[in-house]
Amino acid sequence: MALNQFYNEISEAIIKLDKEKATSLAKKAVADGMDLLEVIEKGFGEGVRKIGELWEEGEFFLPELMLGGNIMQESLAILLPHLKKQGSKTSSGIVVIATIEGDIHSIGKTIVATMLSANGFEVYDLGADVSPETIIETALEKKANIIGVSALLTTTMFGQKKVVELLKSRGIRDNFKIILGGAPVTPSWVKESGADGYADNAVEAVKLVKHLISNA
Amino acid sequence: MQFEKLLKDNSKIILFDGGMGTEIFKRGIKLGQLPDLLNIENPDTISEIHKKYYEAGSDMVQTNTFGSSYLNLKKYKLEHRIKEINQSAIENIKAVRPNGRLIVGDIGPSGEFKPPVGKISPEEWYEGFLKQVEVLEAGVDLWHIETISDIDEMKAAIDAIKKISSKPIISSMTYKRTKRGFFTIMGDSLEKCIKIQEECQVDVIGSNCTLGSLDMIDLLKEMKKHTQFPISIKPNAGKPRVGPNGQTYYDQPINEFVGHIHEMIDLGVKIVGGCCGTSPETIKGIKKVIQSR
Repeated sequence: MALNQFYNEISEAIIKLDKEKATSLAKKAVADGMDLLEVIEKGFGEGVRKIGELWEEGEFFLPELMLGGNIMQESLAILLPHLKKQGSKTSSGIVVIATIEGDIHSIGKTIVATMLSANGFEVYDLGADVSPETIIETALEKKANIIGVSALLTTTMFGQKKVVELLKSRGIRDNFKIILGGAPVTPSWVKESGADGYADNAVEAVKLVKHLISNA
Repeated sequence: MQFEKLLKDNSKIILFDGGMGTEIFKRGIKLGQLPDLLNIENPDTISEIHKKYYEAGSDMVQTNTFGSSYLNLKKYKLEHRIKEINQSAIENIKAVRPNGRLIVGDIGPSGEFKPPVGKISPEEWYEGFLKQVEVLEAGVDLWHIETISDIDEMKAAIDAIKKISSKPIISSMTYKRTKRGFFTIMGDSLEKCIKIQEECQVDVIGSNCTLGSLDMIDLLKEMKKHTQFPISIKPNAGKPRVGPNGQTYYDQPINEFVGHIHEMIDLGVKIVGGCCGTSPETIKGIKKVIQSR
């Protein structure tokens, strides 16, 4: 009961966009020697999931999404180093994620990266305007399970397909699961580009990645 | 034919143009390139598209300068070419503008957000728009600020125009539909946006993009509740789809779109046109509706 109350306090702090409260609860969790993976999943993860719901409901907008994402990142910065020390199984999988070359829109991609980290994935966020070659090199170097490619513009989304094609031409397509993101991405585009999946929002993206890894 | 005259003529529905990006893509623009650069690299294509809209019956057509504000050009490292790009845009439309029709100076979003989403300040927005307006002022009859999702950015653009121009302004925000009504993605409500646009004393309050023609009917009804100002509407042709080579297309039938525009005319909209996915054919369809009234 007390634990659930603590998790609720965390998710409440997140949806109230109260950074001080959220980070101080993260510090308390570390100091009290709590199971940090549980804290992340049931506290912070739940908060971010609720933010996603509030966006869908039309209660939250881009500023709230960004603030929530920032609070999440700062809290994770407190928790993750200790999580590794605790020796818990910290990584549910390795994800390399980027916004494609020619496209500087990174908000959605950053939120997805944050949510994946929160769910225990080891995430390498390469930022925006990243070439297909760099994405692939990093994925090889980090031994990634998942490559995520984001594009907001209809003029740059072709680069998503290029990543898949490059992997194919190098004979390493099946080393990775490839997910796409961004406003113009549709199921038919995923099929056409030869990727493995896409999601409409960060919450769905986490489900998608979990699903892809468990079926790998 | 002055814009003010058209605006005051109660029987007149003013016909705007349709999509520019959509037409450019149809002609096979290289992906990843800023369409505004075509003003210089392929002026004939741009002029041809403008011409098609005037021929379809548009009373006014807008310059190919959606992305040619200082801040947006900077993203493409093209800010040093701001004069050249905006000047070519004027030449491209002037070359095909028939007598008595109007040229609209198109101002699009800067692509930069204020905190916490981005880092830009209202002053930077203002200065960025001012640099574009200074070049366009000599060649346009009126202004259209469009696809703006932050009312503070809209205010900065209006202020920049008013600083050096006395020409009429249409200010179009872009809204998404939520369970609680229409809001911009920055969280500005329709009511708040209209109030501020009225305070800024624009000539026409509008909306474009994001919403398809069906949703725009409901938006228009809401707008009518909050303002007596003339209203401009440029909807998308339904929802975008993506084809085999990554190109976007819209497959809403033209007669459906035109039917929705007809409904909006009955509801009292003053200026009609189209945004993404609409074409000169769409404008021809709207023209027929206007003529049949």
